[in-house]
Amino acid sequence: MALPKRIIKETERLMAEPVPGINAVPHEDNLRYFDVSIHGPAQSPYEGGIFRLELFLPDDYPMTPPKIRFLTKIYHPNIDRLGRICLDVLKSTDGPRKDNWSPALQIRTILLSIQALLGAPNPDDPLANDVAQRWKDDEPAAIQTAKEWTRTHAMA
Amino acid sequence: MNIQDFMALEADSSHDELIDLRSLDFVSSYDSHLMCPICHCPLIEPARLQCDHVFCQKCLRSAITTFRSADTDEFPCPSCRTPTSQISTSVPRLLINMCEEIQVRCPFATEGCQEVVPRGHIQSHVDKYCGYRLIPCPDEDCEKMSRKKDLQVEQRCMHSYCRCSRCEEDIMEQDYEVSNAPALFNLETILINCVSQEHDKELCPSLETTCVDCGTTIPQRNLKKHIETCPEVVSPCMASKYGCTAKIRRAEIATHEQSCPLVSIGPYFEAQNTRLNSLELKMRHLQQRNEIFEDGLSNIRSTLLESARATGGNRGGRSATENDRSQHGRVDDDESANSSNVFSSNATTYLLSLHESLREEVSQMSHALTDLDARASMTIMNECLRIKEDMAHTNAAVNSVRMQVQWLMNPRLHNGARAGGMRTNASTAGNDTTRSQLTSTSAPGPSNAAGPSLGPIRPRRPSDSGREGTKL
Repeated sequence: MALPKRIIKETERLMAEPVPGINAVPHEDNLRYFDVSIHGPAQSPYEGGIFRLELFLPDDYPMTPPKIRFLTKIYHPNIDRLGRICLDVLKSTDGPRKDNWSPALQIRTILLSIQALLGAPNPDDPLANDVAQRWKDDEPAAIQTAKEWTRTHAMA
Repeated sequence: MNIQDFMALEADSSHDELIDLRSLDFVSSYDSHLMCPICHCPLIEPARLQCDHVFCQKCLRSAITTFRSADTDEFPCPSCRTPTSQISTSVPRLLINMCEEIQVRCPFATEGCQEVVPRGHIQSHVDKYCGYRLIPCPDEDCEKMSRKKDLQVEQRCMHSYCRCSRCEEDIMEQDYEVSNAPALFNLETILINCVSQEHDKELCPSLETTCVDCGTTIPQRNLKKHIETCPEVVSPCMASKYGCTAKIRRAEIATHEQSCPLVSIGPYFEAQNTRLNSLELKMRHLQQRNEIFEDGLSNIRSTLLESARATGGNRGGRSATENDRSQHGRVDDDESANSSNVFSSNATTYLLSLHESLREEVSQMSHALTDLDARASMTIMNECLRIKEDMAHTNAAVNSVRMQVQWLMNPRLHNGARAGGMRTNASTAGNDTTRSQLTSTSAPGPSNAAGPSLGPIRPRRPSDSGREGTKL
């Protein structure tokens, strides 16, 4: 299947004008598969860490959202052990809630949303329940753990 | 209009043979505000939502099918999520014009079209003007595509192969690069106009050339064959390798070869040569085998002698006669004369076994000896090689040193000669003269040594002999 013009254009733009703190490189053998690395935002427990993610554009992209997963271990109430991300704009159409993906969104905006999610964890809409509970009960301790995880896993 | 009407409108407007405007190659960059947020191309047939966001109609249609919630008649704008039920296909003319005037490359650029036109004109360019558009062959049985410009007026299949009148090679009709258009009207004209064509100019092997030897004019492709058979080409006699020195034109060579005694005797020579070669080969083999046997024999002999000396006495005598059965038998006889029959038979078996063991020992020893011999010769050879190499190196070094000394001596010699002249001219020169005297006195020694090989006025790096030395 030929690569849609939109994907080519997005990739070109990601390369030509990269978002600060975000780096996305397509695989040579599959241009729908990206290796992403996101720098932890400043003033967050993830500051200084570089988090690796994988991003895949499904066949009906941009009508369906890209599939994104953290590869680096991260202690975050909205990211589970497997690296899956709870982010409303990443929800696919047939979820129980109103889906928030729009074809006008792009790789760059999604990655920016994820970077923002790192800066603002949302324990009220959790994916990792234990982490979210801890976050609610004892936020300083949770942040301390997140910092430790960042040091051990995201700083090579 | 509402969403249902809009969707219905889309289905109608699909007509065939349209270029895919989204796959076009845009020559210049365009303003990102002219870009459809869904397909990221400049807007194509834009439609406007209630919130004033604009999308391509096609993109909007696919977004509506994906995102319209089943129960309501509303659709969230992809850009701002405002629920929308009304879609307008009337968008500002300004926006459409800006999108349509973006420059694009003709989609048949790969076929050779160099055209760059505004996007609004690309459809008409392809439909009417582009000569590189691929269209199906007018012949219904032919499945190939032709470039439009190749088809021209006649509208017939250009994929038949026809034959170049000169070179008799099959060329596809559309591959003739004809310079004048009228020639296209019939095949005969094409063939006659062959001269003006690329095929004929560069590829056609039927162009004529002249044979250097006989002066006849022949087609290029026959040249090789002609040179092989040309009667004027001078070639040596068939028996040249047996000593016939004659070199004659091919036409006359037959008569020469009839009279040439070397030609008639040639086959005989040939046979003798092959026989000689095979015999030599056999000889070499036999020689090698012979050497091996001789070595073995001498080894056995020496070991036998040694063992004979070592064992001594009766048994020694017997074992020494290993090769000589008769002698062995005689010793046995002597032994048997001294003792009873039983004892003699016992002695015989004992002796035989002894003999066997000795024989084995001997063979082992001979093996060991050959082994040692081989090893020794290998080490000697290795050493020799190394020493030879060293010698070559030393030779080279000595030669280079000699060269340098010669080179150094040359100016000295000249100086000496000059100083000598000075001395004869002015005898009262003081310190300078004494110094020059010193140099002149030191000069003669080496100059004498180098003299015979150099000669007095040789160039600075005179001989190649030194270089030959280093080449070793």
